[in-house]
Amino acid sequence: MQNSSRSTTLQTLIALGALGVAAVLAWGAAQIPSAAGYSGVGPAFLPWLVAGVLALCGVLLLLQARRGGFHDVEPPTGADRGDWRSFAWLAAGLLLNATLIEHAGFIVSCALCYALAVRGLRLAEGQSTSLPRMGQDLLTGVVIAAPVYWLFTQVLAVNLPGLTSTGWF
Amino acid sequence: MIETDIWSQLLGGFATAGTPINLLWAFVGCALGTAIGVLPGLGPAVTVAMLLPITGQVEPTSSMIFFAGIYYGAMYGGSTTSILLNTPGETGTMVTALEGFKMAKSGRAGAALATSAIGSFVAGSIATVLVTLFAPLLADYAVRLGPPEYFCLMLLAFTTVSAVLGNSTLRGMTALFVGLALGLIGMDQITGQVRYTGNVLELMDGIEVVLVAVGLFAVGEAFYNALYEGKSVSSLNKMTSVHMTRSEWRRSWPAWLRGTFMGFPFGTIPAGGTEIPTFLSYATERKLADPEHKKEFGTTGAIEGVAGPEAANNAAVTGTLVPLLTLGIPTSVTTAILLSAFQNYGINPGPQLFQTSSTLVWALIASLYIGNVMLLVLNLPLVGFWVKLLRIPKPQLYAGILIFATVGVYGMRQSAFDLYLMGGLALLGVLMRRFDFPIAPVIVGLIMGPLAEAQMRNALSIGEGRWTVFIDRPMSLFLLIVVALVLVTPRLLAWHRRA
Repeated sequence: MQNSSRSTTLQTLIALGALGVAAVLAWGAAQIPSAAGYSGVGPAFLPWLVAGVLALCGVLLLLQARRGGFHDVEPPTGADRGDWRSFAWLAAGLLLNATLIEHAGFIVSCALCYALAVRGLRLAEGQSTSLPRMGQDLLTGVVIAAPVYWLFTQVLAVNLPGLTSTGWF
Repeated sequence: MIETDIWSQLLGGFATAGTPINLLWAFVGCALGTAIGVLPGLGPAVTVAMLLPITGQVEPTSSMIFFAGIYYGAMYGGSTTSILLNTPGETGTMVTALEGFKMAKSGRAGAALATSAIGSFVAGSIATVLVTLFAPLLADYAVRLGPPEYFCLMLLAFTTVSAVLGNSTLRGMTALFVGLALGLIGMDQITGQVRYTGNVLELMDGIEVVLVAVGLFAVGEAFYNALYEGKSVSSLNKMTSVHMTRSEWRRSWPAWLRGTFMGFPFGTIPAGGTEIPTFLSYATERKLADPEHKKEFGTTGAIEGVAGPEAANNAAVTGTLVPLLTLGIPTSVTTAILLSAFQNYGINPGPQLFQTSSTLVWALIASLYIGNVMLLVLNLPLVGFWVKLLRIPKPQLYAGILIFATVGVYGMRQSAFDLYLMGGLALLGVLMRRFDFPIAPVIVGLIMGPLAEAQMRNALSIGEGRWTVFIDRPMSLFLLIVVALVLVTPRLLAWHRRA
């Protein structure tokens, strides 16, 4: 089973991705009025330059990918294929965190994120998580998130959202 | 007289750094840094990035002492992991993993840890003295540099970070320009023109550095772990008592000194990174070892192979503070983040820093001395404590990292949108790691891109819109030639070898 990083199909996609980014940059650059003023070059100069170089890089990467793969690639550590199920749990945790944090507060939202993430990472190691264990993880999440919340809001005066407006939860 | 001037300023720095509150910050920073260095998955750059929100409340001297403590501590801590676990915490400790791990497997973990900690202390102290002596001199000289020279220096930094690190200049350049592209988002400094925001309000101020660093490194690492490293096992070596025999001392100290003087210059030049001096030191120690010790290299583990590179690593890291404090040019990802921290306070590091914020700078330098002592204590007798950290299972570790990542990113701008961006960047980080694209150039491009653009446009104003301003001035012409050499030499060598 070939390591997914050696797949020339994926490498081609990456090269096309770089070209895509360059295209977006060029499109954006075209919309910037390039009043040069005293400085000789205006605000559109660098965007065009970056778009151009990225396009060049994309083309070179594409050539390498079509001709047998990127040069001098160091094989990445880890498995040959990705464990997307585990990843899904992690991604779910992060998405939930991003949607909930301003509604349920930092502690609740991060504890949930933690529990889901731990489940995903355990899955990656081949362990399964039972329901009571998940409850334990949720508790651990609170145990980690709460002191962090208090440290940052009370001691360091950083603004973090809470479920209540007491500043403690 | 310049010597007494430096001395009195340094003493003033000690007075500021020696206040109880700053000593506390230094200690917490060093302890946290050691913990971060020991634990896989987080590095000093990301940790400082995650803690950047404190710059809103804590005063500059204390927070810079704190961040510097983390930077340093991570380097000490990283050696511990390299020796015991063979997974280097930092690129600079990669070489330590070569011999140190072998020593640990032959039952001499304690000696490896001792030579690494003491060597780092020796190197760090000597390097700090060198910083004390050279930085003010360099700052005096650097005041004469103008925008064209600055731009060329930054160009040199861009080139070396993408061409020297990593296996492929092409991929390094791609990463650099992705970073530059990210840096373009937001309002142009000079004309106020809004670029690449797509009418999304949150992007008006640009993309936060913390967001990119944390997303690419920390969260990306967690994603990568879930995807690919679930089944990877790392075995922990047994700890032995941390001390060295007389002969081990005798073999170590010349290696420490050689490593220090090899490492410091590399840290000061924009050649980026600690890989070169540490590998150079390793090769040198191997060459210079007596025959009976030479055969320990690669087999049971030679102590010189740990002593030299560790000293070189520490000296190089200290050296990176020189261009940061005197020129305002970061030569590593962590110094780039430190630059960001300075910017949060409205301080722009550069040659004037020694005049405008001299209390801050000298307190920072003084705290380096103090930090070195603290770290020696934290890493020698207390090393057993840090080793216990290595027993935290990976799922809990990485999930915990996500919580800290959330604090760092949300704490900067109180925007949930940033958290979504962070997730997207984490995916990019996985992609980059999987396909061998270096990540450091993205951060350097993001932070230095706007600075370089400003310098370039200022330079062109000075030259009245002509591009020849960059070659008219001797210093910038010289730098451009160096840039060209850095780009062209590896190609020439490879072509020559094939011919």
